[in-house]
Amino acid sequence: MRKVLAAVTFGAVIAAVALLYRRLARGGAPRLRLARGRAAVQLAVRGGVRYATNAPRLFAAAGEHRQQLRNDLALETAEDVASTLGAMKGVLMKIGQMASYVDDGLSPAVRRTLSRLQDSVPPMSAELAGQVVETELGRPPEAAFRRWDPEPIAAASIGQVHRAITHDGRAVAVKVQYPGIAEMITADLQNVALLRRMLRITAPSQDVDALLAELRDRVVEELDYQQEAANQSLWAEHYQGHPFIHIPGIVTELSTRRVVTSELADGARFAELASWSQRERDLAAETIYRFTFRSLYEAHAFNGDPHPGNYLFHGGGRVTFLDFGLVKYFTMAELRPLIDMVRHLCVDNDPAGFRASMVAAGFLRADAPVSTDTVVEHMAVFYDTVRRRGPRTITGDYASAVVRRFFDVRSPLAQYVAVPRSYVILQRINLGLFAVLGELTATADWRAIAEEIWPFIQGPPATPMGAAEAVWRASRPGRPGIERLPA
Amino acid sequence: MTADPYATAAGLVARSAAAYAASIPEDPADEGFFGPGSVTWRLSTDLSSPVAGLRALLMQALHPLAMAGVDQHSDWRRDPAGRLAATSAYLATISFAERAAAERAAARVRRIHQRVTGVDSVTGRRYDASDPALLLWVHATLVDAGIVTAGLFGTPLSAPDGDRYVAEMVSAAELVGIPRRLVPASRAELTTYLASVQPELRGTPAARESMDYLLDPPGLDADLAEIWQDVRDAALGALPPWAREMYGYPAPPPLTDSRRAGIRQALGVLDTVFLGEPGVLEARQRIALRARAARRT
Repeated sequence: MRKVLAAVTFGAVIAAVALLYRRLARGGAPRLRLARGRAAVQLAVRGGVRYATNAPRLFAAAGEHRQQLRNDLALETAEDVASTLGAMKGVLMKIGQMASYVDDGLSPAVRRTLSRLQDSVPPMSAELAGQVVETELGRPPEAAFRRWDPEPIAAASIGQVHRAITHDGRAVAVKVQYPGIAEMITADLQNVALLRRMLRITAPSQDVDALLAELRDRVVEELDYQQEAANQSLWAEHYQGHPFIHIPGIVTELSTRRVVTSELADGARFAELASWSQRERDLAAETIYRFTFRSLYEAHAFNGDPHPGNYLFHGGGRVTFLDFGLVKYFTMAELRPLIDMVRHLCVDNDPAGFRASMVAAGFLRADAPVSTDTVVEHMAVFYDTVRRRGPRTITGDYASAVVRRFFDVRSPLAQYVAVPRSYVILQRINLGLFAVLGELTATADWRAIAEEIWPFIQGPPATPMGAAEAVWRASRPGRPGIERLPA
Repeated sequence: MTADPYATAAGLVARSAAAYAASIPEDPADEGFFGPGSVTWRLSTDLSSPVAGLRALLMQALHPLAMAGVDQHSDWRRDPAGRLAATSAYLATISFAERAAAERAAARVRRIHQRVTGVDSVTGRRYDASDPALLLWVHATLVDAGIVTAGLFGTPLSAPDGDRYVAEMVSAAELVGIPRRLVPASRAELTTYLASVQPELRGTPAARESMDYLLDPPGLDADLAEIWQDVRDAALGALPPWAREMYGYPAPPPLTDSRRAGIRQALGVLDTVFLGEPGVLEARQRIALRARAARRT
């Protein structure tokens, strides 16, 4: 037996992430071709399954860890940044973050290596961060803000967060990107000879370029803070005055591609919820659930990152939502089949209609030689929380089952199902949202809450939170939905 | 099927990393022979350093007597990873450890060299690993490799820094027992010296065998092998063409900007793997903190 070196890992990480995205993008990649990328698929499968139960803890742990910023080793020049994050390291770090969906399926050596890489990046010195602010905002931070805390309070994925007070007196969090990092990562993702060769080991070669293009798009998208700021502004406006949902506003005039300034939010981190009462956890879960599906069905938008690091909790169900780097806006034509699927399966009890909607959405091949019973049996797990009325607890086991089903390449449906590109991001509901709710072991009458939200029912408030939300909604008649950003 | 004549290269990264991490002191009594401001420190932490190591070995093996000593006395076939880890630890120690520790490590090497004597079967000449002429070849090729590979794949040295590096490294030569007066102290002297030895060089069967192994170590996992391929191409590309021809190796692909970027990527991945080994990050942080403290005073 050959001993597996730690190194392997990067091919495996990249392949796992790429295949995951690929599977999400086109879903039913023929089994044979997937089988050739056996190791990577196994990673994705195992990773997916264990993600559901373990990832929140991993994330929380990572978040805590990152608080220990090594200011004594701070990067002082753009050259320091280049030697720390150039030559693929920035790319590996980004990919490592994306691999958090398959994180736990990776070998301990890979996980250790990725986390060490994360640890190896110290914050910027006060001077260097100040230079970035000056380049971006045209003034040094001390002039751009009334008060500026030169000591960073947290690490962001490719930058760091500083506290400041604006000239008009608002307390803000300023996310500052490492100088030159976006250019380095972009250049490394354009020179793909190495990645291509590493991927060929595990992935079928004809797909490699498509996979790399997918990865490149995703990573480059996340490097542009302006996009994120624009998204967050729209969402903050949409949820303004909401009794439970809070989204920090963006200070547009102090935000650019590499610096983003938002209202400072404070609150308990996800990990702290473990010590809160189950009642509090249930309320927090209800808010997260409402936020996800209200946004989708009413605002036609989905924030693609339901991950524990992106929430702050304030008690009584009040939650602050952070990080709008990855948002998807839907057209009504795109949403219609999803709504039909829910309605046919959960309300009308019409399996044939459900199947027809799946086909219309592109989830299922029209000529799939499987019975409708099999289709329903396979898909029901995704709808399990809303098929029947009554309180139901979402457990870690349920979250695992959902993920397991999603990645089940051996199911009779596997080779006939696909996830069309425009729905890829929604799968993070299955992969991420249920993991979060499962970690909270949240109990609610999810069906009753869903009926409030489903556009074909718009039921009465099912909970006190629903009643408070109804009051807020009534106070804002005809408010616009979150519209797709102009290209 | 015959048994594999070599131990596999598995553990190469892990063992080199462990040896490296253990060689970087926690709290040194002094700054050693070079110190934080030195070019030696800078090159030791340059991205190109694995290529420098490989290129140095490729040059060193072309000296028939140096190669014969390794071939007849070293246990590299039985434990190639251990052999490389020991070299890596030695270099880290003389570069970063306090003077007393560097001297102890050098004394150990000199002791081992005393036992390495014999007759080279190719040239029929006697060799002695303590012979300053052989030691000087090993020294000079290492220094040369550092300058050349940093220029090609890392952060290039300015001409004055190149001279400084050659001069700094005279101390390393003295540590292994080469009289100072014999050691090149500038790049010009280094070039003259290297050219003077060239007529003695040849690609002996032992050199080819050992370097074939090193360039394509069996037992490397597939992904690391992909990276190693770039490191190997980089080292071969950094060799003088005449040296490559002595081995009969084909020329690697031309070093275009994109190829160079690709090699730097491979070195970055290799470095990340190295960084993932226990203790390496902390060792590097110790070096960085010392460098920083020196810059501030």
